[in-house]
Amino acid sequence: MARMKFYCDAERCIECNACVTACKNEHDIPWGVNRRRVVTIKDGEQGERSLSVACMHCSDAPCAAVCPVDCFYTTGDGIVLHDKDICIGCGYCFYACPFGAPQFPEEAAFSSRGKMDKCTFCAGGPEDDNSSEEYKKYGRNRLSEGKLPLCAEMCSTHALLAGDADVLSDIYRKRVINRGASAFEWGVNFDKAKL
Amino acid sequence: MRIHTLLVVFCLIASVFQVQAAPPPPPPSLYTSDPGIELWNEIRQRNGEVRGVTQVKSTDADILINVSGENWRQYRMQQLIPIAGAAILIVLLTILVFRLLRGNIKLSEGRSGLKILRFTTNQRLAHWSTATLFVILGLTGLTLLLGRKFLIPVFGAEGFSNIAVVAKFLHDYLGPLFVFALTWLFVLFVRDNMPSPKLDLQWLLSGGGLFGKHAHSDRYNAGEKAWFWLAAIGGLAVIVSGLVLDFPIFGQTRATMEFYHFVHSVSAVVLIVVSFGHIYMGTAALEATFEVMQTGYCDANWAKDHHDLWYEKVKDSAQPEEQVQSVAKAGMAQRGSTDTA
Repeated sequence: MARMKFYCDAERCIECNACVTACKNEHDIPWGVNRRRVVTIKDGEQGERSLSVACMHCSDAPCAAVCPVDCFYTTGDGIVLHDKDICIGCGYCFYACPFGAPQFPEEAAFSSRGKMDKCTFCAGGPEDDNSSEEYKKYGRNRLSEGKLPLCAEMCSTHALLAGDADVLSDIYRKRVINRGASAFEWGVNFDKAKL
Repeated sequence: MRIHTLLVVFCLIASVFQVQAAPPPPPPSLYTSDPGIELWNEIRQRNGEVRGVTQVKSTDADILINVSGENWRQYRMQQLIPIAGAAILIVLLTILVFRLLRGNIKLSEGRSGLKILRFTTNQRLAHWSTATLFVILGLTGLTLLLGRKFLIPVFGAEGFSNIAVVAKFLHDYLGPLFVFALTWLFVLFVRDNMPSPKLDLQWLLSGGGLFGKHAHSDRYNAGEKAWFWLAAIGGLAVIVSGLVLDFPIFGQTRATMEFYHFVHSVSAVVLIVVSFGHIYMGTAALEATFEVMQTGYCDANWAKDHHDLWYEKVKDSAQPEEQVQSVAKAGMAQRGSTDTA
């Protein structure tokens, strides 16, 4: 069985934010919630790099560990999903998550946040696959149709990769070999690059 | 001839050493630090906080990796939950052992039938408002803290979720009221809870009467004063941290929320654990005690047993039980005379 992973190649990401837009559009995500975001380090300086980040579907997910109502579960593909019927909107997952993945539709007085929303790896939720219930709560379930997450599928520079961890690491390993060991120093050697 | 040879050898050796002592400058090093490592050091915030630039506008969106989250997870899961659970269990067991050893502690001379006013209506109202809120906030807080471990096995995840939603709602909406209740309580009770070092030390050294002999005590003994100040200081910590957590509308960062959660949980658990002692002492431990905060009046012999120095001051105001009851029945509030008690 596959072990689903995202990988973002800092050498390729051009901060176009298309992954962010595609995700919002595909899942009809409400205003203020961003399942994916692009962060640029050293913006405008030498060594500027951008990374697209969302839920990384951790093996030992901190969100699931601290959740007071135990609403998280991991699918057979290693995707971390959650049940919005159980979520109470306490915000603990957001405090614990290393990647800032959990998002809340509101941030109001008396700790009112609404149900947590996060990247599902385009795999929906506990409801029946592709049911309207599932779409309303979690967005589209592309994985059940044999498709990979849209953010990675439409990434124009193939910086964002999604899929089986073994396949991704093979792709990335080949890229690194083609670039030379110190990729960040010398940049990508496009003459040698085969991918 | 020999000296010549030695001199030549010496010169040769010296020249060799001289050559070794001044080697040619080494070629420039091939080693350069990997900028990839630098990038990941920045992303992992290894050299202090690094914020990037992002189009997403939300709390901490410009931070790629939240390094404080893992510490907070370890604190909550490995320290807070086990220690809070153990502390509650230990205190409950201690109370049980105390109960088995001492039983219900009777008045040494039985009831006198004479009543002394100890708490005004205002004081009782403040006490019971704070107490009611404290119990609700404590139970709902513990539900959110320990429910996953102890209530999900009973009710299931979906059943417990319904309980947790109610617990969170009560906790978040009643919490701010605790500010007013505790302030009210503090103002009314602070005067008689000011420490009197000599008397308090004496009381503490004698074990506070826990093991038999009563120690001298004024209106409040050192144990009651300690609880008062703990409730005041711990309560302040709970209130301030609780308000920060309850109103995430000022752009509090995750690190801020984690810190105040730490303050809130530690002070709340300490207050809860100590409150068990206070609740037991005020209800089932001692004869004729619960009625004091219930009715405002204490039995004269109760005062003599537990607050002898205070009794000496107020014993002249003691009145027969029937009179107190008839006054209460007639609905005549004793507001004017309460302050002397």
